[in-house]
Amino acid sequence: MMRQKTTFQLLMQTGAWVVLAFLLLPMLVVLPVSLTPNEYISLPSDGFSLKHYQNYFTDPEWLSATWTSIVIALSVAVIATVLGTAFSVGCWLLSDFWSTVARWVLIVPILVPPVVQALGFYRFWVKLGLIDSMTGVILAHTLLALPYVSIAVFAALANLDRRIVQAARSLGASVWRTVIAVIVPAARPGMIAGAVFAFIVSFDEIVGVLFITVRSVQTLPKMIWQGINESIDPTIAAVATVLTVVTILIMVAVTWRWKARP
Amino acid sequence: MTTAGRLEPVLSVRGAKKHYGEVRALDGVDLDIGEGEFLTLLGPSGSGKTTLLMAIAGFTSLDAGAFRLRGEDITDLPPDRRSFGMVFQGYALFPNMTVAGNISFPLKLRKWSKAEIDARVRECLELVQMESYADRMPNQLSGGQQQRVALARALSFKPSILLLDEPLSALDKKLRADLQWELKDLHRQLAVTFIYVTHDQDEALSMSDRIVILDHGQIQQIGLPDQLYNQPDTRFVADFLGKSNFLEAKVCERLGGALDCESGGERFNVTGESSSYNGADRVLLALRPERIRIGAQGTERFHGVVRQTSYLGERCHLILDHPGFGGVLVSAPTWRMTVRPEVGGEVSFGWDDDACVVLAEDQ
Ligand SMILES: Nc1ncnc2c1ncn2[C@@H]1O[C@H](COP(=O)(O)OP(=O)(O)O)[C@@H](O)[C@H]1O
Ligand SMILES: [Mg+2]
Repeated sequence: MMRQKTTFQLLMQTGAWVVLAFLLLPMLVVLPVSLTPNEYISLPSDGFSLKHYQNYFTDPEWLSATWTSIVIALSVAVIATVLGTAFSVGCWLLSDFWSTVARWVLIVPILVPPVVQALGFYRFWVKLGLIDSMTGVILAHTLLALPYVSIAVFAALANLDRRIVQAARSLGASVWRTVIAVIVPAARPGMIAGAVFAFIVSFDEIVGVLFITVRSVQTLPKMIWQGINESIDPTIAAVATVLTVVTILIMVAVTWRWKARP
Repeated sequence: MTTAGRLEPVLSVRGAKKHYGEVRALDGVDLDIGEGEFLTLLGPSGSGKTTLLMAIAGFTSLDAGAFRLRGEDITDLPPDRRSFGMVFQGYALFPNMTVAGNISFPLKLRKWSKAEIDARVRECLELVQMESYADRMPNQLSGGQQQRVALARALSFKPSILLLDEPLSALDKKLRADLQWELKDLHRQLAVTFIYVTHDQDEALSMSDRIVILDHGQIQQIGLPDQLYNQPDTRFVADFLGKSNFLEAKVCERLGGALDCESGGERFNVTGESSSYNGADRVLLALRPERIRIGAQGTERFHGVVRQTSYLGERCHLILDHPGFGGVLVSAPTWRMTVRPEVGGEVSFGWDDDACVVLAEDQ
């Protein structure tokens, strides 16, 4: 027997599909464009071609930019996860007034407009001599990614019984051993999620990169942006498609791994 | 049965004070705990039991006072250096380790050899009858099983004292009763000192060698279970440990070892620990409901009207109205009842001279 749907349910479901379609719309434009046989950005009119993909995977400039982005994002993922976890575990252990304040302060970067942040980075990085360097970009992206990591780790620790710390200590573990042996393992799902977030935040970040790099650091998003300004090469669409597919694959892999846990 | 008086104390608490703002969680506690004793801290919620236990464990620092372990001052020793086992209400097992991993955790910290650890883990699992669960994760166990593992873990490194904070109160009634027997049995086998916190008087009475009654961060009375039950010092103890009727009485006269008392327009004798009172003193008497006999009209001294009855199977509870005493709670064994009390009917009731206990003034 079919269950009668209420108007509310119908509205909600229609709404959900519309939002999903809206989110997927850019993809629906980029994917066909990337397959065009023409040398300019256009929808494929007579047949499909993979030559723009071939171009992406053989062009040294595109490959170098990809490599740069991957190195930066991996560094950011590692550094932000280590720092964010240390911060969150510390706050969780203290869980007093000031640690709560510190948590909120660390989350503020999410609320500040990216342009304002980029401007801030620019002013500081000039003083520190970090403009147009890998270190400068990694540092800036780490700051942007930290809130995500600490939120994810906090979520993982939220359900951890505080008496577990007391149990470990009463069994003879120092504070440090308790953190290593009990708290960090409990935080691991949050750390993995945080690392993935940090990677993605860094990998597609452009505003900051535009402000603090000139020529010697070329990331993938920056090259796409410049490509659109300077030429009408459909390789950009191919790159965008690859990026999206890779992102989706990472998310699916993480979600699947999560579900597979007991 | 062990009492601190006969044995060298394993742990001494001296002048323990802990205030949280206006709240006096511990207000000058002095206590000696005997080697191998099963000591229970009993008191209502908020009386300071957990605070005292956590201070003994080293997690709460005292404002004033000291702890000595076999004569050695441990007041400032961090919890991981005290080597007291702990069992909590919420089990607090490590979720990322198997049962065997949990139990071997303290042994690995103490750098035992692999063979020693394996043997000890098996021994401890046997102790709590969980031999076949070594490779399970904590979330695959029931509450009772988790508490058994927590117990095995806390005992694995042979601590000198085991601290237990309401370990059974999250379990259902039947399981709780089973585990009470098991805990008592464990205590007898291992000869480890147990300091057990509970707010459940039945648990305290059935398991303990000695009971410490706490209220408002102060010790109200210390004693053997039957001592506390039969000779409560204060109204608080008489009321908290079991049920009591309270009678305000005037001592008319002293007759050797007994007091001739008057209360509610009736005269009766009170024998027992009442030596310090004399004629014209006002006293408060506690009278256990099960010490009151009821019978058909004319068979006992006093007369009352049945206000309410409550049948509990083995026992029957009655509230009798007496013009002088007010409501009197009676708990009579069903099999010995010679009358069938009806609500509104008259019965007679009475008690032996040694049934009433003279209470000290409450502070
Ligand atoms: N960390 C704390 N901060 C403030 N007050 C506390 C704290 N711990 C305990 N108290 C207070 O101290 C009193 C005793 O608490 P506790 O020892 O937990 O009682 P019990 O275990 O007997 O129920 C309570 O009034 C409680 O509110
Ligand atoms: Mg408590």
